[in-house]
Amino acid sequence: MLSFLRVLSCILCLLLTSPTIAQQKFTLSGSVTEAASNETLIGVTIVVPELKTGVTTNEYGFYSLTLPEGQYTLRISYLGYQDVVNSITFDSDQKINFKLAELVEQLEEVVVSDDLKRIDIREPQMSVSTLDIRTIKKIPVVLGEADVIKALLLLPGITNAGEGASGFNVRGGSVDQNLILLDEATIFNASHLFGFFSVFNPDAIKDIKLFKGGIPSRYGGRVSSVLEIFQKEGNSNEFRMSGGIGAVASRLLAEGPIVKDRAAFLVGGRASYAHLFLPLFDNDNSAYFFDLNTKLNYRINEKNNIFLSGYFGRDVFSISESFQNTYGNSVFNFRWNHLFSDKLFTNLSLIYSDYYYGLELDFVGFRWNSGIQNFNLKYDLKHYVGEDLQINYGLNNIYYRFNPGKIEPNDADSGILAEQLIQKYANESAAYIDVQQNVTDHLSVEYGLRLSHFIRLGQDEINVYENNEPVFFDPFLLIYQEADPIGIVTPGRSESLATFTNLEPRISASFAFGPDTSVKASYTRLTQYLHLLSNTSSPTPLDVWTPSGPFVKPQLLDQYALGYFRNFSDDAYTLETEVFYKDIQNRIDYIDGANLIANNAIEQVILNGHARAYGLEILLRKNDGRLQGWLAYTLSRSEQRTPGRTPKSDNGRSNMETGINLGEWYFTPYDKTHDIALFGSFELNKKWDFNANFIFQTGQPTNYPIGQFEFQGLTVPYYGLRNKERLPDYHRFDIGATLTPKEKEGRKWRSEWVFSIYNLYSRRNAASINFRQNQDTGVNEAIRTSIFGIIPAVTYNFKF
Amino acid sequence: MLKKILLLPMAFLLFSCEDVIEVDTPSGEPLLIVDALIKIDISSPSQLVSVRVGLTSTYFGEVPVTSLEQVTITNVDMESTFANPNTLILLETQPGIYEAVKDTSFFTSGELVFQLSHNGRQYFARTHYIPTVPIDDIQKGDGSLFGEDDTEVIVRFTDVAEREDFYIFDFDFNEFLVTEDTFYQGQEFEFSYFYDRDLEAGKEATIRIWGADEGFYNYMNKLIQQGGELMGPFATPAATVRGNVFDVTGLDNVDIFDNVDRPEAFALGYFAVVQEYTSQIEF
Repeated sequence: MLSFLRVLSCILCLLLTSPTIAQQKFTLSGSVTEAASNETLIGVTIVVPELKTGVTTNEYGFYSLTLPEGQYTLRISYLGYQDVVNSITFDSDQKINFKLAELVEQLEEVVVSDDLKRIDIREPQMSVSTLDIRTIKKIPVVLGEADVIKALLLLPGITNAGEGASGFNVRGGSVDQNLILLDEATIFNASHLFGFFSVFNPDAIKDIKLFKGGIPSRYGGRVSSVLEIFQKEGNSNEFRMSGGIGAVASRLLAEGPIVKDRAAFLVGGRASYAHLFLPLFDNDNSAYFFDLNTKLNYRINEKNNIFLSGYFGRDVFSISESFQNTYGNSVFNFRWNHLFSDKLFTNLSLIYSDYYYGLELDFVGFRWNSGIQNFNLKYDLKHYVGEDLQINYGLNNIYYRFNPGKIEPNDADSGILAEQLIQKYANESAAYIDVQQNVTDHLSVEYGLRLSHFIRLGQDEINVYENNEPVFFDPFLLIYQEADPIGIVTPGRSESLATFTNLEPRISASFAFGPDTSVKASYTRLTQYLHLLSNTSSPTPLDVWTPSGPFVKPQLLDQYALGYFRNFSDDAYTLETEVFYKDIQNRIDYIDGANLIANNAIEQVILNGHARAYGLEILLRKNDGRLQGWLAYTLSRSEQRTPGRTPKSDNGRSNMETGINLGEWYFTPYDKTHDIALFGSFELNKKWDFNANFIFQTGQPTNYPIGQFEFQGLTVPYYGLRNKERLPDYHRFDIGATLTPKEKEGRKWRSEWVFSIYNLYSRRNAASINFRQNQDTGVNEAIRTSIFGIIPAVTYNFKF
Repeated sequence: MLKKILLLPMAFLLFSCEDVIEVDTPSGEPLLIVDALIKIDISSPSQLVSVRVGLTSTYFGEVPVTSLEQVTITNVDMESTFANPNTLILLETQPGIYEAVKDTSFFTSGELVFQLSHNGRQYFARTHYIPTVPIDDIQKGDGSLFGEDDTEVIVRFTDVAEREDFYIFDFDFNEFLVTEDTFYQGQEFEFSYFYDRDLEAGKEATIRIWGADEGFYNYMNKLIQQGGELMGPFATPAATVRGNVFDVTGLDNVDIFDNVDRPEAFALGYFAVVQEYTSQIEF
């Protein structure tokens, strides 16, 4: 703590000693909204060309700009909106709320020259992926269901463990290392139907940002990435509805004013059609999902805004009467924006979120449920100190309750005994400071520090092991086994079982070589205290989260990234290249054959390992003309290993261990040497536009047996070291077209048809290759499982 | 078992798109395979024990039989007399099969040590007898889980209270299931097993229940996972399934204390002595 204060005071010294010129300064502040709906806009740039400085609006549409006295031009621009250019005299503190009009409504011309995704050359933030929600809706996807996460997979550094795999992997990290925030609330499982779709309803989403590296200190708790999604607030100008009818799901969203220009609501729903999606099922069975997004906002006055937002989503499966399964996230939060001054913006968030998994198996006679709940209190301050300096700081406290599972008999005849697996509790708190500073005209830096503190709170029972080692290694059989506990202690809930404190420095810098070229570098340290217990290639909905504690250490990441950024041909093209290196300590690994479900002593199957990833990412975008799109290429490697634990002296000699996979590095299931994605969108005329994707990826690592053996008639493939082989290369080509019928005069109804063909040449990409003995012939076979062949789909979207 | 069942919906989504393909699998050094599961029928005064051995080749190749220099089971806690020695020597009855007959009591108490020599190397394993409980009832069901063609059997047995039990079921046709009593300690427990195919009417099956200790339970669990269906992205990482038969050649406690530096010093397979009950069912 002391060292943290010392660093803090150093930062403050630095700030106070920065040269000040004795000239009077004035502050312009306000918000930027969309003209038609009063929806605030995130990330709008406000540039002052005379001073080569500027600011962007924050997550709540607020900006503040402090400049020396004088007259300046302000250029307010945002992708897809018409620029506003204003001349403003800074001779007093002022408040101006800008309204931007959507381009499509204004221009007859198709070619939009101002619609340029220019890279911010000067901003030190790097390793960020953003996608416009309109682009996401154009990308051809399986079954036509526009999907945020599937769209992100087309950008460099972002992959998943194959078709039908859940979640996403960023720069070789695992799925549980992504912090997914929906209106600042943590989402624990972002997938519907085991990963075929993501839980985010694209109609309700306003802004998406994925941080792959250079993660600012206001974020913490996951080591790979932060996916921050903000939902729309609701139209406070007029009542609007929008929706869509697709092959899998339909959507409907309503928004409108409660008090015009002051208060608005938004309610959005999405549900899938059970019987159409799984034609295999007869009437007894079903599989469906739904989402509900709700939002209320109230602008109390110029200084105070409040927001209530909620999300509720569920997946439901049932197979006749023998199997019933429900899972999903719920999120509720309250936020209060308060302006202490025109330079100090604050936000207080109270957030509750949970993830629930429930199951009933009639043929075994039990009901099962598990989940995680958390209560999060956050206070964030954004201090717009001057034209070249912004300081963000804040506090955060999260209380977690983990229910690893509760089992109950489902009827009186069941032999199952009710049992609550031991619940776990933890508290994570953090304080951070983040400074964004333009040091010279060329050099900008963002640096910060996060102090995180984690307490694993007491629980009903915890095992005690000999030598504190819950995993036993047999030096002759070379297998890890569960150690028998030598005792059980029952610490009270108020006791702490383990505490961890970590200091997480973050720094990124940008050096601009001119108006169009810059080099950026960053270093990030992050700590992750929660772990998803999953030993499959991609997580399953039934995997449970577990907190760090006496036997599970927090994961620690160090990431270094270096990048070259360039806008060229009058911003028609942008090039972003980055190299990165990541090192993660205490990545948990599992002993062979570990059972992670309904395990009350998970420490008996866990070892602390090590992970690393490195790579090169290139993103070339064309932002201009009728044909727009990008080419993304990633060359990378992602590996992990779990060496034997430190030998310790026992009976006068050291006990060696082999580690998992003989302690050797092995590829993670999402290691893809080459990953190429090409996306193009061609706007033929006002009516038609055409879109296409091509994806090529090195086949994912897998295992082929090096032999077979028979035991009691069961033929078993015999494997060597992990992930030495690869599946065949993955590639596919998707096309889509959007037809926008001509608007009828005087009618508000607008609609579009989205046609898509996924996997046009119907490549049978292997999701896995399994080895088994044919039940009938007794011959060994290699079975390729491929998920999607060619899939055409039509979606109809409307709004009024 | 639980995991496989919980992932059923996923299996549904994947089912229709499987095909058999040609794959060149790599090959490793040949390893000795030892199937030394001794199943004890407690109602019989003596037991015929049978051990099967072989060598590994490639996955799609034959499993060559091999012959042993010697194979024995010793009850180290039993007093050895000339009339009733505590070591049982198994003899080759068919290529790769070694058999012997011994009193039931030889197996049911004391530590049992299994030793064999193969190609000049000595292998070793030890275990002790694990009892189990009889199957109370077995019925044909008419439910389905995987699809219309399923065949359901309903099995009922009664767990022993105050004892940590592991059970292995052999459902015939090379289908196995493992379960442990954490959630039904001391209870009468009934569950259904589904064969993922239509077994024609009149077909008979022998269903067996075996006792197991935790090590053998874990071993069988891994074999079932790797020998059966792996489900796409939800497969667990494959690994060499090591049993309890390991190479003791040169383990002298002077230069070599353990096998940590020689991970290839083991045989595939397992040595276990378990009680068995069987039940017949006609579909």
